[in-house]
Parts: sequence; structure tokens; C-alpha cells
Amino acid sequence: MIEVAHMASFLALAACLVQTWYGLRGNRAMAAGMAYSAIGLMSLGFGLLIWSFVTSDFSVALVSANSHTFKPLAYKIAGAWGNHEGSMALWCLVSIGFAAAGAWRLKTGRREFEAKALGVQGAVSVGSLVYLLFASNPFLRLDPAPLQGNGLNPLLQDPGLAIHPPMLYLGYVGFSFVFALAAAGLLEGRIDRDWAKATRPFVLAAWVPLSLGIALGSYWAYYELGWGGWWFWDPVENASLMPWLIGSALLHSIIVTEKRGGFAAWTVLLAVLAFCFSILGAFLVRSGVLTSVHAFAIDPLRGSLLLAGLMAYGGAALALFAWRAPALKGGPDWQFVSREGALMVNNLVFFVTTLTVLLGTLFPLLAEATGRQMSVGAPYFNLTFAPIMAALLVILPLVQSWSWGAAKPDINWLRGVIIGVGIGTLTLFALWRMGLPLGAGVGVALGLWLVFGSAQELLRRAITPKRIFTLPMRVWGMSLAHLGIGLFVIGAVVQTSGRYEQTVALQAGQSVEVAGWSVTLDGVSSAEGANWYADRAKLVARKGSSSAVLYPEKRYYPAARMPTTETAIHKTGFGDLYTALGDRREVNGNIIWTFRIYYNPLIDLIFFGVFLMALGGGFSAFGGRKVSITASEPAPLAPITLEPAE
Amino acid sequence: MRRLFCLLLLPILMAFNDVPLADPTLEARAQMLMDEIRCVACENEPISQSGAEIAGDMRQRVRMMVEAGETDAAIRGWFADRYGEFVLFRPPATGASGLLLWGLPFGALLLGIVGLTLVFWQRRRTRGDAEIVPVAAETFDASRSSDTSLEN
Repeated sequence: MIEVAHMASFLALAACLVQTWYGLRGNRAMAAGMAYSAIGLMSLGFGLLIWSFVTSDFSVALVSANSHTFKPLAYKIAGAWGNHEGSMALWCLVSIGFAAAGAWRLKTGRREFEAKALGVQGAVSVGSLVYLLFASNPFLRLDPAPLQGNGLNPLLQDPGLAIHPPMLYLGYVGFSFVFALAAAGLLEGRIDRDWAKATRPFVLAAWVPLSLGIALGSYWAYYELGWGGWWFWDPVENASLMPWLIGSALLHSIIVTEKRGGFAAWTVLLAVLAFCFSILGAFLVRSGVLTSVHAFAIDPLRGSLLLAGLMAYGGAALALFAWRAPALKGGPDWQFVSREGALMVNNLVFFVTTLTVLLGTLFPLLAEATGRQMSVGAPYFNLTFAPIMAALLVILPLVQSWSWGAAKPDINWLRGVIIGVGIGTLTLFALWRMGLPLGAGVGVALGLWLVFGSAQELLRRAITPKRIFTLPMRVWGMSLAHLGIGLFVIGAVVQTSGRYEQTVALQAGQSVEVAGWSVTLDGVSSAEGANWYADRAKLVARKGSSSAVLYPEKRYYPAARMPTTETAIHKTGFGDLYTALGDRREVNGNIIWTFRIYYNPLIDLIFFGVFLMALGGGFSAFGGRKVSITASEPAPLAPITLEPAE
Repeated sequence: MRRLFCLLLLPILMAFNDVPLADPTLEARAQMLMDEIRCVACENEPISQSGAEIAGDMRQRVRMMVEAGETDAAIRGWFADRYGEFVLFRPPATGASGLLLWGLPFGALLLGIVGLTLVFWQRRRTRGDAEIVPVAAETFDASRSSDTSLEN
């Protein structure tokens, strides 16, 4: 069976080669046909790989290394991509899938351009498939076949993490199709409004799943690792954050290209960089150059191959860019105080913060090259990334109403004072209610400022409140995303500065106080699941009249010979009471269990905020599909004459 | 000498139970430092998060030094001397590498601002007093007349 999958992948490689050939020669029909064939073949290959996991065919080396008969069905399926080789197969499938989606949905009326985009995407798929088949082949047999498999890393046996990799890959690989569209546009020498219109939905098709994938990973780390935190500035997290930041810059910059024809060269450069950062992310995670908590399958050879691929594709694209970009035309002239100017500042900040994350992530490597061992962690990013990004967020509500070309910011002092007083009162109330330090007030106020700003902009655009639901999807998308950032900021600030944590050792019957909650250990019992057994603690938490029972567990997976922490979380409405069971010790004949108990105020706002950003992105992607009634440019405002420059 | 004795006893007494400092301001300072110091036994965790025993000892050491009135820099220095620069999640902003690490983000931002301003100024000089027609960002009304010319 797996030989059929192996064969199908080779045939998919052949189809992608032919797709590249015809695509680059401008034959859209042939390239599309090859893309459809390739997706059929690769789906067959990947489907059969999943099938060998479902049927626990341990004669397949990958299945025996990563699966087990006792594993629940869902995790047998997820096991197919919960390892290096399988995840690369998924990568190839998504890459080919984007080509097929492009062949199906891309209708710009410029067949040469579309053909070339399919051609470049074919070349990306060829690279991925060659890497899959020659450096990380998931289709190999094992002889003799073992009777039982080694199981999947139990940390990964979790619904959040089962769908986290496919989401991330939709993002990473989605940027490869954006890259293909950029390269095709450069080959054609036309990066104009039509190009941006066709490309923007694909930027969002990559950015939205990438956002969700990062949030899922973060949420998983929060409840599964038992550390109580949600973002650790770990190299692997940074590897996914960099393409997200560049992607965010791109999705703002491409609006200028779409609406005004401006920023063309810069937009294309970002499209190329987003893909380069995606491969760089894969390289950092897979090569093992950076030690990290959750990197799997570390192999230097694979790393060097990924680096070679990054150089080849990135280098070719940058060379193409250097050759073609100078000829690209800009849009109409604009003043600094204009929508273009605001989006330029946005892009500057996103670009600088990406560089910051890149530097912080690679710095230990650079230091090692000079013989020093150094670490760069959360304190660095909190002091560099956070203030620079915060500066952008302060400006955001002020500029999002600015018009294209030139803007006359209308400053309504009365409204300003009302909003200021409102935010100030709410901030002080929040500080008092949650007992936060004064410094946190700045962050809370910033978050509220974004929330108010987004709501006020939505109302302004609607002109009258009644029309708010007939606003274009794109306006809703923008407002929801910016509202999401506001909620995210509030959640992140309150959680970081208002969290209580305590590591305690308890005997049965003993209690501890955390953030007003009195937590009592009732006892610890044994529990058993399909492929694990566990120590399960019963904690009774009380605060005033409310009470909750929590069952944190320490699970052991015998197949993988590895323990995991299953946290127990009580949602209080304003935050999480979070408990994790630690080690068992005996002191003078008494059995003592260690616990980590946290109170994380407003932590759900962090994940909900990112979800709103992704939802906004989704709305925005469909915005272009609205059917218009009359065909004319948006009504111009009164012209402004620039004063002559000195 | 007495301090050393305490340190030897600590692993036995304290590993189970972190006792926060009585003074909340000192404890907050200790917490901040514990977030910045890397556990030497774990992959990528600060001692404030780590469950390893040595991390517990290191936490206790931080609290002791904070209580003894040592400065943040002295505490960081003590850990760096003892375990290597590797344990500092917040590398010092000294030396060429420190300047590069801490200077680049703000330097790049500054360079970007200055560079873009210069380009902008230059362009305004060359283009002179061109008339610019502002176009409102998408609103309810504009959506009724958004560009069908580009509709796929």
C-alpha cells in the first residue's frame, strides 16, 4: 500500500515539474491540468499514509516510530503529521493544494500571468517534494515489522495540537503562493492594482490560518505544559511570529497597491520576504541550530538542505526583484498626512519589529560563532519589541480615518475629552478592581484606546448607526481585527502584571491561598485512559460563596515512557484559576504533592483577541467579492493644494 | 559563613516550598530577576518557571541577595560569574555585541524614520506644488461605487 503512496508522490513530483515547465512558458490550461493531477496524486499519497496510521501498519517505519495500537483514532490520524517526515508530506500537500486552488480561483483575465504563477508554485512544490522524497521520506518500510509501535509524543496527543500544525502550514505554505504571484507579477513586469486585487485574498488565506495556528499553539502551551504562561519568546515561537509579522506588514501594504497602485515594489518585496521567513522558520525548527522546548526531528543534513532551498528560491526571487522592481510604477502622489503615510509608518514598525525578533532569535547563534554562550529571552523582547509595537498602536486609532492622498485630520476636542475621560476612568477602575500596579495602567489604557478607536471608526464609516450592518465586509474586517488587538493588549497586560503564582507542597487536607481563593487538597487517586495511567489530584477551591473542584493530573504514557501534565483550569469569568500537579515526595513518612497554582486574570482576552484578528482577516478576504451597483471611483473630497516647498 | 550554611540547608528545606519575601516590593524585584535568569538544568526556562531543584536553589539565592540589599546588577553579575553569561536572558547592553543587540531595533527604527523623511522631503522638492485629490477610505457610501472595473 505504502508503495502506491510512494509512487503517487513521485508522479506528483513529475506533474509539478511539467506544471512548472508549461506554467513558465505561459500555458495556463496545461499548468492547471498538471496542478489538478498533482493534487489528486498527492492526496492519494497522503491519504494512504494516514491509512497506514489508522490501520497501525507497523511495517511502515514512520508508523512504527510514531504510532501505537492503543492510541485513540483521532491521534492515530493526527500522528501522520505529528512528526518530521509526515509534516513535510503535509507541507507538500498544502503547497500543491494552493497551486490547485490558484488554478481554480485565479481569474484575472491575464492568462500569461496566471500561468506563470502556477509555474512558480510548481517549482516551489518540486523543491518541497524533492526534499520530502530524498531527505525525509515517510514511505519507507521496516523489515521485520515490529509487533507494536513506539507511540506519538504524548504532549502532542491533544486536540489543539492535532490541528495546530496543519494551520501553521496553511500559513507558511500559503505565503509560498503569494510569493509565486509576486514572482509572476515581476516576470510580467506588472505589479499594479489588478495584481494586488488578485493577490490580496491569498495573502489573507495564509495570514488567517497562520494567526489561528499561532494562537492554538500558544493556548496549547498554556494548558498543556503547565507553566501558566502563554508566550515564552521561545525560538520556535519566534520562527512562526516572524512570517506573521511580515505577513501583517504585507496585508497592509498591499491595500495601498490595490487602492492606489502605490508601494508596488515594497509590496512585492514583502511578498518575497514572507515566504523566505516561512522557510527560515522551518529551517530554525528542523535543523536543531537552536535548542528549544518543542522542536522535533533534529538533523543537521535536513537543516542544510532547507538552508540551500532558502538560498536558491529566495536568491532567485530577490535577483528577479532587483532586475524588475526599478521599472515598477508608483501610484498618485501623496502627502505625509494621508492613508499612504499612515500605512507607511505601519510597515516601518512591522518591519523593524520583525528584524528585532530575528536578531533576538539568531543572536545566541552569532554569539556562539564568536565563542560566547549567550541567551536572549523574554526580558529582551519586552524591552524592545513591545515598546516599538506599542508606539504604532498608539497612533492607530488616530489615523485609521485618514483619506488617501492627503488627509485633514478633523480633531473633535469635545469627543477627544469624552473618550479620554472614559478611558481614564475605566483604567483606574480596572487597576483598583484587579489590584494591578500603576505601570499596568498604561497598557490597559492603550488597549481601551484601541477598542474605543475601532468602535468609533466603525460608526464613523457607517455615517448613521443604522447602516453599520451594511458596511462593506472589508471595513468590518479592519475594525474587528483592530478591536481584537485592543482586547489582546488588555489581556496580555493584565495577565502579565496581575497574575499570582505559587508553587506549593501539600498533604491531603492542607490548604493554600491564591488570589483570594482558598485551595484545599482533598486527595490524590489513580486514573487510567486508553494508553495512559495517571495520578489525579482533587482540589477544592473556595472564594466567598463560589467554589470549584479541580482535577489536575500527571499522566504517564508507558508506550512513550514519558509523563505529561494535564492542568485543571477553573474559569471564574474574570480569569483562570490554573492548577498543575507536580512531583510526589515522601518526607518523614508523609506523602507530599507539589502543585503550581496560578491565577491568570483576563487571559481569555488574549486568545479571543487573536481570534478576532483572524476573523477580521477572513471578513476582509471576502470584501472584494461584493457586487457593486455603479462603476465609478469613490467620490473625491475637496482638493487640497500643497503649499510650494521651500 | 552563616549564609553559606543556609545555602547548604536550603535544597532540603526549601525545594518544596518557595517562601516569598515579606516585603512585597523586594519580592516583586526578586520575581523580576527570577524571570531574567535562566535555569541551568532546563531547555529554555527562567528559574521562575522551572520545577528543577537547582532552579529552586537559584530562586532562593536571588531572594537572599535581594534581601541583603544587593543591586540588580550585582545579582546578575553574581549569576553570570558563577554559571556564565548564558544564564542571563537579558544580556547586558555593554560591549560590541550588547550594543548591536540593544541598539539595532531602535537604530533601525530611527534610521527608517530619518530615511523616509529625507526621501519624502526630496520628493516634495522635486514634485513641487502638485494638486492632490484626496479620496476617502471605504465608507458606506463609497462601497456603493467601489471599483467594479477591478471586480473579478
